[in-house]
Amino acid sequence: MADQATNNEFPTILGADAVFKGELTFDKGMRLLGKFEGQITSEGQLMVAEGASLNGDVKAATIRIDGQVKGNMSASSKVQLAASARLEGDLQTNRLEVAEGAVLIGRCVVGVNAKGDDGRDSKPLSRPSEAIPMSRPRTEATPVGAKR
Amino acid sequence: MLPRTLKPRGGAAKQVICPYCRKQSEVAQRAMSIFCPHCRKRVILEDYKITSYYAVREFFTCGDVVVEKKGHVVAPIKAGNLTVKGKVQGKISATGTVKLAKNGTLKGDIEAASLKIEDGASFDGFVQIGVVPHTPE
Repeated sequence: MADQATNNEFPTILGADAVFKGELTFDKGMRLLGKFEGQITSEGQLMVAEGASLNGDVKAATIRIDGQVKGNMSASSKVQLAASARLEGDLQTNRLEVAEGAVLIGRCVVGVNAKGDDGRDSKPLSRPSEAIPMSRPRTEATPVGAKR
Repeated sequence: MLPRTLKPRGGAAKQVICPYCRKQSEVAQRAMSIFCPHCRKRVILEDYKITSYYAVREFFTCGDVVVEKKGHVVAPIKAGNLTVKGKVQGKISATGTVKLAKNGTLKGDIEAASLKIEDGASFDGFVQIGVVPHTPE
């Protein structure tokens, strides 16, 4: 039953002994167990299983990584990195979950700054000089438990 | 040669990693600051809670730092664990976990053991998670 549910969720499966090079598009979901080199574009979810490797750019709604990934990721909804995951590349998403033990190296844009396909929102954070006069900075760092 | 340690006189002890030289020392549980026995720099061990605008050249502690909802830190931060509920601008280096709570904003690079970004938080920068930081000579 559990297998059937997984198959319904991820109708596309690239087996553990398979190597794929090229461009791939799918609608619902894909489970990658083997090796992939190229580009993935989808409106669904991608799962890179433990032991699998992906080399290339990915654009999907949800990306879950348990294996090794090298390349740029763009997810409209969420990116999840499990403890066994290793991701080297740039990341753009609305939500990011990184489990303890996972390795992530790259530039990240998460949340409101991540703007779908067009890249980043260029709106900068307020500059400190605008936030407070430089002549008399109001600084306050309170050690926990300190008496006022 | 074994590294020198600052042995506490009785009582409980804890291990701290100097944010300057990244070397480990043993200190008394109640110590609030020490001079690192390796690099001789002053190391603060206290936990901090930032509740307003706070801009400094560097903000280094071995304890935990919590930037509250109304807190806005503009500084490079080195800490044990960092929780951001407000705004932070600067390079982050944590020996533990960096957590971006709901509505937390962080702009800067992160180097930490683990990272948690809650729904609604925003972050922009280069990250190095789970990679042992470079130990200077």
